[in-house]
Amino acid sequence: MATNVLICDDSSFARKQMARAIPKEWEVEIHFAGDGVEGVQAIREGKGEVVFLDLTMPNLDGYGVLEAIRKEDLPAMVIVVSGDIQPDAQDRVKKLGAMAFIKKPIDAEKAREVLTEYGILTGA
Amino acid sequence: MTLTPTEVSLSEDQRDCYQELTNVAMGQAADRLARLLDVYVVLPIPKVNLIESSDLHMAIQDAETDSAMSAVCQGFIGSGIAGEALLLFNDTSFSDLAALMNYGGELDRYGELELLMDVSSLLIGACIQGIGEQLEIHFNQGHPVVLGQHCKVDDILKSGNHQWTKTLAIEIHYTIEHVNIDCDLLLLFTEDSVAKLNNKINYLLD
Repeated sequence: MATNVLICDDSSFARKQMARAIPKEWEVEIHFAGDGVEGVQAIREGKGEVVFLDLTMPNLDGYGVLEAIRKEDLPAMVIVVSGDIQPDAQDRVKKLGAMAFIKKPIDAEKAREVLTEYGILTGA
Repeated sequence: MTLTPTEVSLSEDQRDCYQELTNVAMGQAADRLARLLDVYVVLPIPKVNLIESSDLHMAIQDAETDSAMSAVCQGFIGSGIAGEALLLFNDTSFSDLAALMNYGGELDRYGELELLMDVSSLLIGACIQGIGEQLEIHFNQGHPVVLGQHCKVDDILKSGNHQWTKTLAIEIHYTIEHVNIDCDLLLLFTEDSVAKLNNKINYLLD
């Protein structure tokens, strides 16, 4: 069965870049969210088994999304994809339950590396 | 695609793309500042606008127009694209900045100038190079110039001698968590550069 993947970023350019970076052989259904509020809603609907999450977003930022996931105990594996590469930002998202951190700009190689490392992408 | 090449324009997709490129570049700049000062820099969503240079002050939405500011400007050029970076630093930020940088000397105008130059070269350099890298442009940076100390924003902007009418303005408002430091970084691209930049952007958008 295809994995539900959610790309949550306020930039349409970044969402496109992220979608392109998803390994071709990975059987996925890709969903998109334009801010944190939409993102949390999509995760509640089961569209975010794996979430690629931006941090700097209007309405609800990535930290807020992570908090909501934790509070509602939503089933989501979150990979933060952000331009905010400060050591503190990486610590904070890990503490909030993010599985991994990938710095922007994203490319296919980095995405594959992380997905393989965490056993999400197997047998490829 | 563009039927009227003399008219510079900015589509919603292009604006979004500039915003994202800036997002990445300012993150790199913030990371350097964060490591230097051992703080967390709060990153905003950058504002991207095509404006008349006479409306520059309106681009600086977050700057408090009445407070005293100090400002540095630095030109950059590469691959036929030119512009200038303008760092506006709120004067109330200096005492906290001095403390974070373990500045030992007396915090007079010269002390402030030294701090201002340190922060501006770091933020401007990282931002310009960050944007350049993503667009595969190597920007050469000119010498930084102090536009004023303890001035009002309007007076600082008036002193700029801009040769263009329209400009692509990117504004980044940096603040630092738990301390009173805030500054505005403006990247202004010349009117001639915007068409070339848009071409580069269009490649990425394809």
